[in-house]
Amino acid sequence: MTVLPDATPSPEGRRGRISRALNDARIRSVLIQVLTLLAVFAAAIWIVNNTVANLNARNMSAGFDFLDVSAGFGIGFTLIPYQEGDSYLRVFAVGIMNTLLVAVVAIVLATIFGVFVGLARLSNNWIIGAVARSYVEVIRNTPLLLQIIAWYFGVFNLLPRPRDSIELANGFVLNNRGFYLPAPVAEAGFSLFAAVVLGAIVFAIGLYVWAQRRLERTGQAFPAILTGVAIVVFVPLLAYVVLGRPVSWDMPVLQGFNFTGGLSVPPSFCALIVALSAYTSCFIAEIIRSGIQSVSKGQLEAAGALNLPSNWTLRRVVMPQAMRVIIPPLISQYLNVTKNSSLAIAIGFPDLVSVWMNTSLNQSGRAIPIVAMTMAFYCAVSLSVSAVMNVYNKRVQLQER
Amino acid sequence: MAQQTQVFVPQPDRPPPPDTSGPLAWIRRNLFRDIPNTLMTFVGAYIIFTVVTAIVNWALIDAVWQAETRRECLDAVGRAGACWPGVAAWFENLIYGLYPKDQVWRINLGFLALVVWMVPLWLPKVASKIAIGLSAVMLYPFLASYFFLGGEKGIIWTALIAAGLAGLIWVWATALTEMRTGKPVGTWLVARLGQADTDEILQRRIKQGAALALFAMAFLMVTQISFEEVRTRFWGGLFLTLVISGIGITFSLPAGILLALGRRSKMPVISTLCTLFIELFRSVPLITILFMFNTMLPLFMPAGTEVNQLVRAIVAVCLFAAAYMAEVIRGGLQAIPSGQYEAAKSLGMNYWQTTSQVVLPQALKIMIPTIVGNFIGLFKDTTLVSIIGLFDLMNMARAVGEDTDWLGLFIEPFFVVTLIYFVFCFAMSSYSINLEKKLAAGRDRT
Repeated sequence: MTVLPDATPSPEGRRGRISRALNDARIRSVLIQVLTLLAVFAAAIWIVNNTVANLNARNMSAGFDFLDVSAGFGIGFTLIPYQEGDSYLRVFAVGIMNTLLVAVVAIVLATIFGVFVGLARLSNNWIIGAVARSYVEVIRNTPLLLQIIAWYFGVFNLLPRPRDSIELANGFVLNNRGFYLPAPVAEAGFSLFAAVVLGAIVFAIGLYVWAQRRLERTGQAFPAILTGVAIVVFVPLLAYVVLGRPVSWDMPVLQGFNFTGGLSVPPSFCALIVALSAYTSCFIAEIIRSGIQSVSKGQLEAAGALNLPSNWTLRRVVMPQAMRVIIPPLISQYLNVTKNSSLAIAIGFPDLVSVWMNTSLNQSGRAIPIVAMTMAFYCAVSLSVSAVMNVYNKRVQLQER
Repeated sequence: MAQQTQVFVPQPDRPPPPDTSGPLAWIRRNLFRDIPNTLMTFVGAYIIFTVVTAIVNWALIDAVWQAETRRECLDAVGRAGACWPGVAAWFENLIYGLYPKDQVWRINLGFLALVVWMVPLWLPKVASKIAIGLSAVMLYPFLASYFFLGGEKGIIWTALIAAGLAGLIWVWATALTEMRTGKPVGTWLVARLGQADTDEILQRRIKQGAALALFAMAFLMVTQISFEEVRTRFWGGLFLTLVISGIGITFSLPAGILLALGRRSKMPVISTLCTLFIELFRSVPLITILFMFNTMLPLFMPAGTEVNQLVRAIVAVCLFAAAYMAEVIRGGLQAIPSGQYEAAKSLGMNYWQTTSQVVLPQALKIMIPTIVGNFIGLFKDTTLVSIIGLFDLMNMARAVGEDTDWLGLFIEPFFVVTLIYFVFCFAMSSYSINLEKKLAAGRDRT
């Protein structure tokens, strides 16, 4: 075939220009993005249209006006006061408080237990290491929901009736209605006592900060943690005696068929906390272990060469470096606890998902605002935590030269 | 000059150190190093002894093996021993759900087909493992869904099932020829016909013809079989758990790769959309997504569309898993040094060539443990579908205690189900550790 000379450029040239334009990375990228945006908008419009049609057909509405309406159902366990006649907005608040309560309690317990198990895995004793390892493997490889339900149906529901309750310690009672513990009651002089406690804590923190600064400036150490603990323990004790018992304890007592007085949490709360903290403690244990193992051996040898005492090696060499590895995944575990607390619905504990996305949604039929509010809450928690995390990561990042 | 020679007299040998190797030394080092260590050994041994004896006593020694109802068990041993007849009576339901008993062989055959499909991946001489793996992901689902679902099949549905069947036959044909002669089945066929030296076009024609013939044969076979329909509401137990997690795993990897690439894209619209999707799905609990799809998917669809509840759950699980997988893959992508991109560019590779041949293979390889960890998480998370009313393995176990004959029998079924979950998850994690070691063999030079 012979190639014709480019005599009539108009059709060929135009096609050439178009194909050249399509091969230009910038033009292509703009084109792709415009097409994607159009597709997303089209899908959104289609969904909105369908939703509006469906809502009209079912006589439902998507507004937020139902929030002031009385919810009209009771909630078994509330952290803030709530009555059946309260508004839906109040239900939302009750759900959030219950979710946060579960999350905070489970986080504290899981951290304590997780550190313990993580250190046990690093133990130079083979049996302790094996026990910790089997604990981690068994708990980590079974679903959390299964554990929650097993603890609820298999343990806390089968506890004896209130009459034959198990008394763990004076005032701490466990039975199939829940867990009862003494409640603190403010007496005369309580506010002064609270002020003293608060002051002691603030002073101890201040002392720690001052000791750190002095250590960095002069190299002289001050046992700030020991002193701080002593202040936080003994000053309130002294105040307690001097002010003549400003706090008394309201003990749970058996009256008729049930216990009254004191604080109480339902069995579902106990099951949730035990399962959540056991499950999370495994992941925390692994984080602690890998964090400590990530500190290179040379650091330990260097500390040994400087003849640092062994508790200094741990506190001033190993921990600061391990923390850099430990903190980010630890925080993401804490976020997971908050998200996993939503499994409460399976055993009927009234957390946010249970009272809001289930009961309120079924009662009011306002699917869209309720789902949006629930998701907004979880997004807000997770975004604020990751914002804090970013700041922390910037601070502890290695200063590379 | 008389010189007195001093004879070198060595010092007497020092006693050898106490044995540093062998079982005795190991015991001394790991169990009785010092007093606290010895104490810990006793504490640990006590814990192991208590737990093991408690479990053995409950599950084996004090257990009841023959009974008609839970009452009989309670009368015999109370709560001290397990009541296994209840679990045995429900065992078939735990595995297959309420699937019709006379059709259960279809489930077994479906999973057997998957095993048969995957076996060549572990045969050392088989070369086209990637093609086999891809075919399992792309074609097996059609075959399996017909096995499980059954019912009427139109012409397109028949063609898809036939593609699945043809894929299975091709996998084994190519595995056999590769083990025998080292050539994939197409090349082998060409050589058998004595056309190995002819031009490529003819060879390709022969291969295409053979593939077409295979497909036609499979199509004919598929038209000959027909299964009765089993509605998804009869699906349950371990079978349902495996279906949901299998679909979630199969979907989440490619979708996660696309999302991760999208998030790292230089096009602002694409990366914003991907980031929004990933962050939204990652920051809310799976249960809220399941609830959302359960209540809102029917609202989003055109009026009158019925969305099967299983489909709603699967859509929710897939999107959730994809968002998590995207972040894992992105971690892998970030670990690839920019020199790799520059090298690919200098060879004249375009974006997709660079991504698929240089970046992704390395990124996926270093993320294998995390990816498998994610699969395990997904497998465990499928228990959440029980909350929206599907009877997966866990919900089936809970249902045992609500049966009038076995009222309150919770611990035993939970124990069995826990074992099943543990075996699956532990096998997956052990396999990933094994794979990681194998892949790291060439990398670590220590």
